[in-house]
Amino acid sequence: MIEVLKLLIIPGIFFLFSLALFYQWLDRKFYARLQNRYGPLHTGRQGILQPFADFLKLLAKEDIEPKAVDKYIFRGVPILFLTISITALFLIPMSGIEAFTHFEGDLIFILFIMSLVAILAFLGGWCSTNRFSTIGGLRAAVQTLGFEVPLAIAFIGPAILAQSLSITEIVRWQAENNLWAIALNPLGFGIAIIALLAELEKIPFDIPEAETEIVAGWQTEYSGRKLALLRFSFDLELIMAAALITALFLGGPTGPISVFPGIIWFLIKATIVVLILSNLRALFARFRIDQMVSGSWKYLVPLAILQIIVLQLILG
Amino acid sequence: MAMESELLRHLGKKPATIVYPFEKWEPIDAFRGKVEFDMAKCIGCGICIHDCPAFALEMVGKGLTCDMKWYPSRCIYCGQCVESCPRNAIVQTHEWNLSDSQSVEDAGKSSERWILFKRPKSE
Amino acid sequence: MSESTYTVPIGPQHPALKEPENFTLTVDGEEIIDVKIRLGYVHRGGEKAFESRTYVQNMYLIERVCGICAMAHQLCYVNNIESMMEIEVPPRAHYIRTIVAELERIHSHLLWLGVAAHEIGFDTLFMYVWRDREISLDLMEEITGNRVLHAANTLGGVRRDLSTDIISKLRKGSKIIRERAEYYKKIGLTEKTILKRAAGVGILPYKDAVELCAVGPTTRASGVKKDVRKFDPYSAYDEIPFDLITYDSCDVAARIYVRVDETIESTKIIDYAISHLPSGPIGVKAPRSVPPGEGVSLLEAPRGEDIHYCKSNGTDKPERYKVRAPTLGNWASMARMLIGGYVADVPITLAAIDPCMSCTDRMTFVDANSDKTWTWSLERLRKHAKKFYGR
Repeated sequence: MIEVLKLLIIPGIFFLFSLALFYQWLDRKFYARLQNRYGPLHTGRQGILQPFADFLKLLAKEDIEPKAVDKYIFRGVPILFLTISITALFLIPMSGIEAFTHFEGDLIFILFIMSLVAILAFLGGWCSTNRFSTIGGLRAAVQTLGFEVPLAIAFIGPAILAQSLSITEIVRWQAENNLWAIALNPLGFGIAIIALLAELEKIPFDIPEAETEIVAGWQTEYSGRKLALLRFSFDLELIMAAALITALFLGGPTGPISVFPGIIWFLIKATIVVLILSNLRALFARFRIDQMVSGSWKYLVPLAILQIIVLQLILG
Repeated sequence: MAMESELLRHLGKKPATIVYPFEKWEPIDAFRGKVEFDMAKCIGCGICIHDCPAFALEMVGKGLTCDMKWYPSRCIYCGQCVESCPRNAIVQTHEWNLSDSQSVEDAGKSSERWILFKRPKSE
Repeated sequence: MSESTYTVPIGPQHPALKEPENFTLTVDGEEIIDVKIRLGYVHRGGEKAFESRTYVQNMYLIERVCGICAMAHQLCYVNNIESMMEIEVPPRAHYIRTIVAELERIHSHLLWLGVAAHEIGFDTLFMYVWRDREISLDLMEEITGNRVLHAANTLGGVRRDLSTDIISKLRKGSKIIRERAEYYKKIGLTEKTILKRAAGVGILPYKDAVELCAVGPTTRASGVKKDVRKFDPYSAYDEIPFDLITYDSCDVAARIYVRVDETIESTKIIDYAISHLPSGPIGVKAPRSVPPGEGVSLLEAPRGEDIHYCKSNGTDKPERYKVRAPTLGNWASMARMLIGGYVADVPITLAAIDPCMSCTDRMTFVDANSDKTWTWSLERLRKHAKKFYGR
């Protein structure tokens, strides 16, 4: 019974969904304030209900399916996106040192889920049989070639410290040794943030859905309910990225004052990561796909390998 | 990275947006708004009608007893009629919120609204 | 083409284009092999409308050829008609015209800078630049009464005078704009992501710029020293010293620097004009009809060289009025710039010539086999439209 409550409420589906909408609001508000404008303002107090209103509006819109698309893939992509993102979220500890479910090697499982997300983006673009969607889908696939390897290598750093490939164990190691992994892994933290920006398709890496070049990239043909689910799963991916960084580098849901429950610490740290990601979103222009992939292999991968070497030298 | 300090500086500034209609916005003195006729001065010469680029003025009647009709939806608020009038009978006020259909007097049966400026009855 | 190529249509509806035009790109992966440009989506029949309105009414219609360079088109028209009427405009009016024209140049260049930043995905710069552009719009509203489509000129002078209040506001505003423009130049030179998207992109060599008759900042960014304000001065430009800005790198980054530098030069021109403003009347009375003859006038609009031609037959309506807007001169160079680049560079290359499609659309018939050209009259056009739409 307690398990079912945990699944549904905290740290389960209700908590995750409201957190997704809250982070979308926070991201938009912070981005707008950096640009000297208001952001969402009128729906609810300071626009806090705006993401929810957008979601409801999209659900109510007409869901147009062009005749030439591959029907089953087209319909399946948004649903799979949503379910995969939620599956990944259950593996990350949010309310205590132990995640809702954990097993040895779930870090690799999360990396696998990120590749699946990229494949889904490619499939979504490919089955839409629209020129712009095809280009967007191809760009999504090529972008995966760029960010996956540095991301994986950056994640291995904390795993080496904790001698385990389970996120729960990494958080437990950081709590027991009272040491955040970022202290020994600063370069890995930076590379993980940059590579996660590419995974979330945010500026400067929003190349697959570049608005001014290819209309909406691989999401061009989606509308109505499917688009609502897609956008919602992007917010869930934002939580996944913030929660991963918090758990692997910033010590997870633990803090110096043990009176507060772990979830408060988790929220504080994840919010700071979301604000960092918003700030980086406002700071740069968009890269070209060839610049992104070549830059990633020329700079990110060697730096990530260097970080691992330095870590090994420190440890032993 | 070059703009980071500028970005963070803006967190403390008030946003540059006027939250209309909750914040007031008043037009400046030089503003070119609604056209108004002072029919006591009008002599019915018709130069304003000849010069209007948008064909937004019409004379009802003739000469010194005429009334003037103005079409707010055709007018481009350029102010040429103000300059052309030899008796300075036309002014441009500061009224800019003209899209309310309630404030139009004498709305005709056709779908295009006009405003009729009547000559005051002389004793 | 072979099977490995692919056609991508950019336009007529596309987020990269602010106005509709059609570019059919033949691409191989991400590289562009061929471009077919098709214009004419916003042809409005303006030149026909000029012929049925008087010269006074046309002053306002000519403004609406382009919303952003409205003052430039109106000034070119007024210069044209005044030279045909052979009337002398007082010097104070010349200076006021120069001040408003330079304010419009600042407004247009800042607008362009924001739009270019948006095309490469840099929304923050877009928001900042458009906030600073509001200063120039508010100044123009103080002087003329309207933020765009100012109608500051009249045949024989200007319509409103500058009071001392407005002059002090102009000084303050021009100082703020100059500081912000210098900051944006620093950003354009040092921000790596902008340089990565703009440097080396959309190359137009010096030889091609001269051969294809490119105009405006596009050609000045390829090193060609061409500016109508220098070789055929009008208004007060022969009395005000300013620099002709050219850069040599022939790419989109050079076009950014040319425009930002021109903004800074415009603020200096405004400062000089304010401090040397002659006193006197602001206009002379102009006759209603124009003596028969022809007139041509050139002007440096923010986008390049603007040419107007007028033929009058002695009445108060022109017989023929032709407008060659600056962007029409840049389309041939556009094809040269796009081929060989990437699809991702198309929006920024298109935006870099500062296209104003509404200015460019003209319609004429050309028979490619027999080299014959002709135009249609209004009745013929109406008949064709009725038949085409089946009404």
